[in-house]
Amino acid sequence: MNASSDMSFLTLVAGASLPVQLVMLILLITSLFSWWYIFIKVASIKRAEKDADHFEETFWSGGDLSKLYEVVTAGRRKPQGIASIFEAGFKEYVKHKQQGRMEISDVMEGARRAMRAAYNREMDDLDAHLPFLASVGSVSPYIGLFGTVWGIMNAFRGLSNVAQATLTQVAPGIAEALVATAIGLFAAIPAVIAYNRFASSVDRLSVRYESFMEEFTNILQRKS
Amino acid sequence: MMVRQRENPDSFRAGVFSVLVHALLFGALLISFNWKTTHPISIAQVELWDSVAVEGQKAVPVPEPAPKPIPIEKEIPKPEPVVKPEIKPEPKVEIAIEKKKVKKELPKPVTKTNDALAKLQEQARQEALKNKPTTNDAIKKLQQELLNEDKAATEQQAATARTAANAGVVDEFIAKIQAKIRSHVNKTLCGDGNPELKFEIGLIPTGELSGSPKLVKSSGNPLCDDAVERAIRMSEPLPLPQDASLFSKFRNLKLTFRPNED
Repeated sequence: MNASSDMSFLTLVAGASLPVQLVMLILLITSLFSWWYIFIKVASIKRAEKDADHFEETFWSGGDLSKLYEVVTAGRRKPQGIASIFEAGFKEYVKHKQQGRMEISDVMEGARRAMRAAYNREMDDLDAHLPFLASVGSVSPYIGLFGTVWGIMNAFRGLSNVAQATLTQVAPGIAEALVATAIGLFAAIPAVIAYNRFASSVDRLSVRYESFMEEFTNILQRKS
Repeated sequence: MMVRQRENPDSFRAGVFSVLVHALLFGALLISFNWKTTHPISIAQVELWDSVAVEGQKAVPVPEPAPKPIPIEKEIPKPEPVVKPEIKPEPKVEIAIEKKKVKKELPKPVTKTNDALAKLQEQARQEALKNKPTTNDAIKKLQQELLNEDKAATEQQAATARTAANAGVVDEFIAKIQAKIRSHVNKTLCGDGNPELKFEIGLIPTGELSGSPKLVKSSGNPLCDDAVERAIRMSEPLPLPQDASLFSKFRNLKLTFRPNED
């Protein structure tokens, strides 16, 4: 083998054995998807936070609750975030009130249940894709390592056929194999960082939603 | 199921961003990282050029194996082909030039075959002269044979030239290694007289020692032995030819030192 062989990135990838190339392909696709979800999540969480800020501001600025309900339901798109919790609770409350002849505790209980259901739906949307990011973060280094181990195994097996073993005979194989680990790490690191950030953001949002639920329940109870 | 309904508006932009991130990283990888392995330029260029030149000559297209029927009258009046630059029509002339070049570079091993070849060619010409009117075909055949012989001869020459050049390179680098080590020897430790000592050293392809140098023949003065051994260690990395195929000649070297002799 020529000592000054071409070690450019492309030749390394092209020269790798099939399993290693397969591993690289899987990792590349995984990385693409994880970055895609990261950007989606960044946008959706930012939107949820902005919506929550906006809604809380209008909610605590006083004013009629039924008017607020009309504003919230008037929009073309379904209310999201805190607005959807408010909408579900208030709707249930008004329905029970209209039926009359119901205990106040039952009315409150119904409104609470409706809000809880809306809250769960919201949380489900906020939590979406986080498990995927977690899996990518923890598994893709291993996939890359698998490719590397496989490549190094091949490199050393090739070495056993030569009488005079020199470093130049294994070096290209090992360099090829290490590219797999590099790609795996490239996929994993952003996924882990994003997962932790998103998890904390979602936690803070959920705390916000829950405290809103409690406060809104109190307001409804005072009203009735 | 890939994306939630409410995430739809963002999904396309996010996908574009994702591809963009990968393209950026890939570009940075290609541009910033030097993936080419570099090797220190050694001073072996003279020899290398020599061998390259021989190889290049081999690569000069030897005229087509099936030469066009050349008007023989043209061929005959040249007993001693004069070296004119760019004589196209005659394959033989070109070969002659080639041979001359090769001859210049490797004087010894080829002269005999060259003479023999010249003789053969002469004979062929004579025959051609004799049989000219009738056996055009035979001449062609003969020419063909001659050409083949020439080709084989040039190839052989190139091979011998290469081994000769390699031997030259090996010798030169051994001399260089010795010179480098000698420059590090503290001669005052070796006292007067002319001590001689032999060391056996093992090298790895980077020019570093593969183990500690072994003293094969002592000078009788342990201080002097130590001085030379220190010098060997200090001269790492030792100069090695760039051609990796020559390395086997350097794996184990026996070096003789006469520190007081310049």
